[in-house]
Amino acid sequence: MSADEACASGALLARANAGDAAAFGALVRRHQRLVYSLALRMVCDRHQAEDLAQEVFLQLHRSLDALESDEHVEFWLRRVTMHRAIDRLRREPRYPPAPLAEAERVVSESDAADPLLARRLRALLAELSPAARAVIVLRYQQDLDPVEIGRTLKMPVNTVKSHLKRALAQLRERLTSMAGAVQ
Amino acid sequence: MSDDDLERQLRVALKPAHPGADFAPRVLARLAAEERVPRVRLPRSQAVAGWLTFGLAASVLVAVLLAHQWQVRRTEQGIEARRELLEALRVTDQKLDLAYRVVNAPPHAAAPQHSGA
Repeated sequence: MSADEACASGALLARANAGDAAAFGALVRRHQRLVYSLALRMVCDRHQAEDLAQEVFLQLHRSLDALESDEHVEFWLRRVTMHRAIDRLRREPRYPPAPLAEAERVVSESDAADPLLARRLRALLAELSPAARAVIVLRYQQDLDPVEIGRTLKMPVNTVKSHLKRALAQLRERLTSMAGAVQ
Repeated sequence: MSDDDLERQLRVALKPAHPGADFAPRVLARLAAEERVPRVRLPRSQAVAGWLTFGLAASVLVAVLLAHQWQVRRTEQGIEARRELLEALRVTDQKLDLAYRVVNAPPHAAAPQHSGA
């Protein structure tokens, strides 16, 4: 982010905090992709993801005065989205799977080289525990390192690393067994 | 599948998605709707916390009352036991006194009956 952009985003935050709805709308548009993507990959359902993302932005609106910069907003949004998603998954462990047409739309959005494999991976991710899923999503969607993941999820770095290691091993094993079953 | 392949496929599978063009207007509409509704009800977590506090306070009060009642009963039982013990000591003292007096009575009181033999 350039100095001008940082200044502009700081001004946006200040205006939104002062009650400017248009500025808050701009703030939502700036971060909607981040929040929605995290929510979608966590709850694996477009409607639930949209509802969750909206709730996060409503909470952001109530918390604007505690946030100081755009980076702070981004960190806050990541943390709140993941914690809300984990809470939801613990309350209601599995959402009903998305209809096929909807699943295909998700795949087409991702421009996956192998859409079937991507779909399989997402289905396997949905079988991981909420905490392990959160670690994988933050690592491979947001490209965060274990220390940043630990800060976001309020989790010790060693726990993050152990979740990563175990989840990757589990995914690899399940993919291999699925490939074996197909052959 | 190698580690690199799996990580690459995960990045593809988890690629960010866009919520749709009218997402921000929907958030603003929901925000406006929430601000129109007066907040008379506590959020669920606060309501639960309120009930928990009330329940806890009621439990403590009941526990204090029960403990007080138990203490009063124990005190009364102690007083009664003390009274019974004093009564028993008093009776025992009387009996011992009587026995002492019988044992130590002068033998001449029985002598006239045997004097003619």
